[in-house]
Parts: sequence; structure tokens; C-alpha cells
Amino acid sequence: MDSEELKYFKKVVEETGLTINWKLFEKRIKELEEELEKAREFRRRMADWKYIESRPEPLKTALKLLVETGDLKKVSYLYSIPLDTLNEERIKARIPIVVV
Amino acid sequence: MELAIVDTCFLINWAKFRQKNDIFNIFSKLIIPSIIYTEVRSESARSFIARLMAEKRILLAPRISQVDILALKIYDLINSHPSLPSIDPPEAYALALAKYLEKPLLTDNASPRLAVEVINEVKGVRVYDSLMLLAKLYKGNLFRRKVKEFIEDTHIFFSEKRLREYGL
Repeated sequence: MDSEELKYFKKVVEETGLTINWKLFEKRIKELEEELEKAREFRRRMADWKYIESRPEPLKTALKLLVETGDLKKVSYLYSIPLDTLNEERIKARIPIVVV
Repeated sequence: MELAIVDTCFLINWAKFRQKNDIFNIFSKLIIPSIIYTEVRSESARSFIARLMAEKRILLAPRISQVDILALKIYDLINSHPSLPSIDPPEAYALALAKYLEKPLLTDNASPRLAVEVINEVKGVRVYDSLMLLAKLYKGNLFRRKVKEFIEDTHIFFSEKRLREYGL
């Protein structure tokens, strides 16, 4: 996260009126970023790319984005694919969801 | 036994687990915010929820304006940080409702777990993910076996770090 992004985030925090334990937040976010990167590598390794490539659009692109992000809800929303339909496709494509 | 708030993804995943009903060995009932219920569309997940509703094991929570206000703040805050896993309005609502009702939240999203650690206004809310719940349900070798079965049934995995925390 660069300084501009941090400035923006702090502004949003201020606007919401919520208060954050910044020291703990910075520690946790660093740990989380490392874990999320490992999870991304795991999804890339485990995914059945042949199956993904065989799917029609927009499902194919949605599954590829799911491999990269692991974010089922966001991908479901972006491609207007019902959440549980996408989850069924995820399982067929052997894309793991990793709980970090 | 107490009540717990549940998120959509969590419910969809647990609906696939062969021992899904064991969740009621810990919680007497699950509360689904009504805005979450609309996200569930598949026949299998809906029929699972419908059966639980018929058995009075699931309660639908109405929208509460006070909860909505906190939910919107949580939503804005989490989604404005590029490194945090995103949270959608129903998930944010579920976390705010958990705070309001002082009940645990069941979700596999890492953001609510981080939020209750670092955001003072939701501090203290108990957030359980699937691994935590499996650890509460099963002990010793049975726990090890059930984690394996859960992964087989749902294709939900747990990071090495998380598994190490539970001696796996």
C-alpha cells in the first residue's frame, strides 16, 4: 500500500467515525497479505485449467478471476452469476477456497 | 446453547458437508439476515434452509436501521483498503447484527475476523470460521478426520498456518 492509498484509507476511516488500533492493524494486514499470496499460488496450482478453458464466456473469465482473487462473492456480483451456481462451477474447476 | 448469525457463503458450504446438522450441537438456532437469504438461489441450498426453517432451526432477522448504519460504515472501511478481502453489504450487515445482538458470527471471510480485532466499535464480537467450528465440534483424531471430510465435501481448504494452530 503506497502513501496515497494509506492517506485515502485514513480519510475513509475518519469519515466513518470508526476507530482503529493502527499498530495491531498494520501487523495483521502484513500477515494477511502473506497468507493471501500463498492462497493465490495454491489456487493457481490446484485449478483444473483444462476445465476452466472449456467453459463458455463469461463463466471462463469469471473462473479465472476467481483463481486470482479467491473472492466468490465479488466475482458472482461482477459477472451476475448466482453465488451458489458459481460455487458449483468452482468445485468442478477444482478451485480451492482457502480460509486464512 | 446460543444463537449465531450466519453468512451466505458459510451456509452454502456447510450445506455440502456430510455432517452439516452437527452445527446444531453447538448452536440452538442460526439467524440469517433477510438480505442474505436473497443471495441463496440454488435448489440444494434453498431446500436445506427451507428444511431448517420448517424445523424452526433458522430465524430470518429483519432489517434494523441502527444495524444498517454500522454495517455501512464497516462496508466502506473494509472495501477502501486494497489488501483486505472485500466484504459485501450482506456480510457487513451480518457483522453489525452480531455486534448488536451480542451473538457470534459464522463466516469464512478473513475480513470480519480482522475487523473485530482492530476496529474498536466491533471489538469483542466472536467470529468463527469453519475450522474453528470443526475444532469446537470434534476432538483428537475425529477432528483430524472431519477436517479431511469437510475439505472433500466442500473443496474449502485451510491455510497451513491455520492448520498448524490446531496441531494439524
